[in-house]
Amino acid sequence: MTLRRYITRRVLVLPLMLVGITLLSFVLSHAVPADPISANLGEQAAANPAAVAAFRQRWGLDRPLPQQYVVYLAHLARGDMGVSISTHQPVAIDLRQHLPATIELAVAAMLLSLTLGIPLGIVSAVRRDSVIDQISRGGSLVGVSMPVFWLGLVALLIFYARLGWVPSPGQLSPRLPRPPFVTGFIILDALLAGQGDTARDAIAHLALPALVLGSYSVGVITRMMRGSMLDVLGEDYVRTARAKGLPRVIVTLRHAARNALLPVLTVIGLSFGGLLSGAVVTESVFAWPGLGSYAFRSATSLDFPAIMGVGVIVASVYVLVNLLVDVAYAMVDPRIRMG
Amino acid sequence: MNRRTFLGVMGQGIGVAVASHLMHTRTARAAPAGRGTLVMAPSFVIRSLDPGHVLEPVAEMVCHAAYDSLVTFEGEDLQTPKPSLATSWKVSSDGKTYTFALRPNVKFVSGNPMTSADVKWSFDRIINLKANPTFFLDGVEEVLAPDQQTVVLRMKAPQPSIVPILSSPSLGILDSKVVAEHGGESGLDAKTKDQAEAYLNGHSAGTGAFSIEGYTPNQEVVLARNPRHWRGLAAMERIVVRNIPEASTQALQLARGDLDIATGLGRDNAQTLRRVSSISVQSSRVATSFVFMVNEDPQLSGQLSNPKVIQAIRYALDYDGILTIAGPGAIRMAGVIPNTLPGSLDPREAVRTDRDKARALLREAGLASIKGTLMYSSDVTNYGIQYSLLAQKIQADLAAVGIAIDLNGLPGTISLQNYRDGKAPALFGGYAADYPDASDFLVYLPGRLVGKRMRWPANATPATQELAQWGDEAEAEGDLRKRVALLQKVQRRLLEIGPYAPLFQPALPWAYRADLRGVTFHSVWGVDFYAVRRV
Repeated sequence: MTLRRYITRRVLVLPLMLVGITLLSFVLSHAVPADPISANLGEQAAANPAAVAAFRQRWGLDRPLPQQYVVYLAHLARGDMGVSISTHQPVAIDLRQHLPATIELAVAAMLLSLTLGIPLGIVSAVRRDSVIDQISRGGSLVGVSMPVFWLGLVALLIFYARLGWVPSPGQLSPRLPRPPFVTGFIILDALLAGQGDTARDAIAHLALPALVLGSYSVGVITRMMRGSMLDVLGEDYVRTARAKGLPRVIVTLRHAARNALLPVLTVIGLSFGGLLSGAVVTESVFAWPGLGSYAFRSATSLDFPAIMGVGVIVASVYVLVNLLVDVAYAMVDPRIRMG
Repeated sequence: MNRRTFLGVMGQGIGVAVASHLMHTRTARAAPAGRGTLVMAPSFVIRSLDPGHVLEPVAEMVCHAAYDSLVTFEGEDLQTPKPSLATSWKVSSDGKTYTFALRPNVKFVSGNPMTSADVKWSFDRIINLKANPTFFLDGVEEVLAPDQQTVVLRMKAPQPSIVPILSSPSLGILDSKVVAEHGGESGLDAKTKDQAEAYLNGHSAGTGAFSIEGYTPNQEVVLARNPRHWRGLAAMERIVVRNIPEASTQALQLARGDLDIATGLGRDNAQTLRRVSSISVQSSRVATSFVFMVNEDPQLSGQLSNPKVIQAIRYALDYDGILTIAGPGAIRMAGVIPNTLPGSLDPREAVRTDRDKARALLREAGLASIKGTLMYSSDVTNYGIQYSLLAQKIQADLAAVGIAIDLNGLPGTISLQNYRDGKAPALFGGYAADYPDASDFLVYLPGRLVGKRMRWPANATPATQELAQWGDEAEAEGDLRKRVALLQKVQRRLLEIGPYAPLFQPALPWAYRADLRGVTFHSVWGVDFYAVRRV
């Protein structure tokens, strides 16, 4: 099978998976024994039959459930994700406003995890049981096991409140102008608008939450990379390469690290999805206006269209990232697409 | 494809997919700011900034800044309505016609003059939208605009509470021309035809001291000073209301000087901030009544609904201990009307803990073993009060006199649903005033909002019938002295025969930078931005 056919087949399955995801989230979110009326209508209005009827009609809740689902799917196929019950604006627009902040955070956290985790893992494996190895093993254990909430608050207390190295929580200093909305990625938008100060400010705001959010994946990636590297270093071809008299750096990086990266790729893909959906807590501590806070709010107010929208987006990103990981896998190791 | 490009592609892919459905992008552009900008952080849920749909605290605060109502209250006062867009008002002798004289030469932020036609249009829209705030005007038969400067409300029955009700930010006066141009409807079919909400979420069309410059749902609202405001320019040029859900984060930012006002603080944070000299920590009493309630349907609440048992519960509760859970600033309530409103009972009149009396009452009831279930929201912390802690306290207090209570902690949305459906066996909760008037708390009466939810109809007994009757009389009484006396009589009777034990009136912990002046916290609309200035 060629690489192109492999990708095509994987892409064709996507819509089916999405339908499955929507069905699952629809059934699950309607299984909650509560009514969005309670969460979204005021006390007095909730007791007024005319207001309740108007609410049901306005949000399409007066139709039978299967019909609501079919209508939802039909709209979704046209790219219409419905209107959010809790923000009263199209879910697509809500997501467009919240998703970039989360992607920015997740990408920054991922980049941090990669630039820290992979070299640390390699060094740890090569200098096994050295001081560096001990420190990186200890550090990654802490990174993996520390509750993000606690870590975030402690980091804020030290780096923001005490030392003043990082700016206030949030995406941007409140006293700075927000760049005009173009892509939604605030750093990019600021650069596009030529607001260098704003871009710098946004990057400064991103640093700490990205570090906190990335701490878990740094730990995971370091540990995976170390283990995988140790396996590979024991292989015959590494010994052969060394015996041929190749420089140590070349053997470690080109022969060993490249092969050791394979299993780590899967973990990277999975943790990126985790970063997206798991950012809820980090976003709350750092007042980061991303998808996590939106998802939480939608869930607590039983905002079905928004819950579905978040589900569809997170699932799509997850599926996409996995696809890309598999493709990367197939590119690195041709045996995979043959299977 | 390397990792960096694929991440970029992924971001774009999603962007394009969503952008295809993008109807309008919002540009929240702010000028560089410094001392003229006020940054405040509540933890907010804003569902709408269209006054016709607004009924959440922070949205009310924004609407109060952007829209003037006919009347208002000053600072934290809840007792004396003051003129705003109406300069004066008078009541007909039968108490059913209210005539308001409008302030001349008031202009909307658009430059359009504000006239009685705008007032009529705004009120008609509220009535016909059938949304959250519609109930405010339930008592209104008709809105008339006999001339440009006069508005007349014809009521279905005498209702003196209509004056304080008109202070509600939801009843702010809209620029009827501008709103109608953006899809606003005030006619009978407004509930389906009105399309102005999307516009009003990003702009405002009022006469208020500020106008909405930008709103990003879940994130922030930016207000800019209205250059045409009739009281003269506000001191602050710009207000940034930013959602900071985490209380500790708010406290840190306030301490660092990145925030001016924080209203979403926890009690621990407020305590810590008291040690910071540049910060003023406040605890403002809110017009909310915290009450323990029992369902009158014995099928649900078992023996708890027995009148003797309810009386015993009232004597068994350790109110001093409960006040500690409620936090600093909270005070006892003798009745169901909060102490800050005319018509409330003196807190010194409140029941005192007397376990012997409680046990005696239970013996009189002659019941073998008394069991019950207390439903509460396990995930809710309101006004710094942890509901789960309060539930445990009540359980322990009742156990001390021999009432065994099972705790049934549920997520807030589900317990709220059960309560509204009248399915909660016993619970406690805070009923927050929608408008600053004691009549809002008559909801506890038999046959009214809360009464019905406790399965307590007006026609349950001759006594409930009489009580409901007194309630109606109190509501219609125009003479303040007589009204207060009636409200007090109603509350005393309510506690003799009703399924309630009033617990306390809570206080909200909040704080602001000490270089601010004029910052107050009103029970309905929070901070009045017009009054705030920096020294």
